[in-house]
Amino acid sequence: MDISILGSQILGIIPLGDIVFYMTSFNLFMFVTALAFTFLIAISKTETQVEAEFGTLGDRQLKVAKNEFKIRRFLAIICGLATAGAMVTGDLFDFTLFVCLIGIVNIGIVGAVKQIDVLDSAFQYGLIAMMASTPLFAGAALILASTGTISILEINSLTFTTPMMLLGSLLLFMGVAGETGVAPFFATKAEMFRTPGSPFLLIIHLSSLLIIVRAIEILLIINKPF
Amino acid sequence: MLELVPSVVSPIIVALYTPAILVGLIIALIGLSAISVEKNDLQVLILTDIVGIAMLIIVASVGTDLAESLILPGLVVELAEILAISEILMSREIRKTNNPVAIIPTPLDFNLEILQTAPLFIAIILIIYGAFLSGFTGGAVAGGGILFYVISLTVRGVPSTLWEGIAGISGIAWCLWLIGFLVLFVFPQYWLLGLMLAAFGIFIKVAFKVGLIGVMNREEFRKE
Repeated sequence: MDISILGSQILGIIPLGDIVFYMTSFNLFMFVTALAFTFLIAISKTETQVEAEFGTLGDRQLKVAKNEFKIRRFLAIICGLATAGAMVTGDLFDFTLFVCLIGIVNIGIVGAVKQIDVLDSAFQYGLIAMMASTPLFAGAALILASTGTISILEINSLTFTTPMMLLGSLLLFMGVAGETGVAPFFATKAEMFRTPGSPFLLIIHLSSLLIIVRAIEILLIINKPF
Repeated sequence: MLELVPSVVSPIIVALYTPAILVGLIIALIGLSAISVEKNDLQVLILTDIVGIAMLIIVASVGTDLAESLILPGLVVELAEILAISEILMSREIRKTNNPVAIIPTPLDFNLEILQTAPLFIAIILIIYGAFLSGFTGGAVAGGGILFYVISLTVRGVPSTLWEGIAGISGIAWCLWLIGFLVLFVFPQYWLLGLMLAAFGIFIKVAFKVGLIGVMNREEFRKE
């Protein structure tokens, strides 16, 4: 059994009942990257922003209170672990659930700030994430209905593709794009990065990057274009 | 081509699948077009829920147990997101107006006469019956019993340590439930142990959800 599309061999599987995690050299690398960044974030301290005031020579310091810092670090670690889990999971539903968890946690990381602009963009991003969960789950359900399984290893061994699988994949990709806030939805997310407390915000970037790469791998496995 | 649907399923039910998908997609489009017109943020948030319900329709139309395993997380995700976004909306509005308001404006007042005169053994019967049922249903029944007992005592004033103890037990029982599930996945040969851990973990956890009400209640008392 090998995932031959991306030229990588299966190094091993972790069988937990019907939930099977599998490791290839491709997704193992992303798994380790996500875990390493999560570790770095867990031990790091938050930055202090300095804002120049308009019209004067004064500067203003923006500090993050200890309370807020702790909850934000916790959410960032959860986000990193969810990203790592989405990298190695061999189950389509698990993948969608990890993506949803990342969406919720991303809202939570910026949810406690005091700037109205950031709250506004977090609200918009939350609306997009909520709407995007519809095509995400619907795509997974369509793929389940047209293949009869949600195990990526099982889908890999199927020999046919149907238009229903293609529709499901398109919906799944729309959902992932909305949940992680990439290209068409990036306008809502850009403002969120103005929040003070930088190292924890980087995980929002990293998670969306890794999730998109992994989602494309899954879609290639499902549709077998080559 | 793989034969996906077993022959025992009646063809009428199989034929319902495509209309169900279409209904789901149309509902989602109606919700999205309403969102594109609406300008009020609160209305947009409520309309977003319609789009979420469309997701449940599409998932439910598959109609297998695997689909059921996606409906429950889907529902939970929807609820969690709508709670998170409404919290953000509230905190944004509070910061905009600079006028802090109470989230729950009315303090609970349980001073009913029936709570002082009702026999407390009803609570004991409910708890025993809930333990007999076990699982989620039993937890709900036993939780009703505990809630009845505690609300009756609230009239005389419950010590706050009791509430904290109940909330703590709920958390520990939640861990039992998780361990039960891990046992099912990692050591399938001990499935009976895992099943019992999960059943009674969720029983105790659902029963002691009342601890949450207690925490809210205490905050209300502090406010007075």
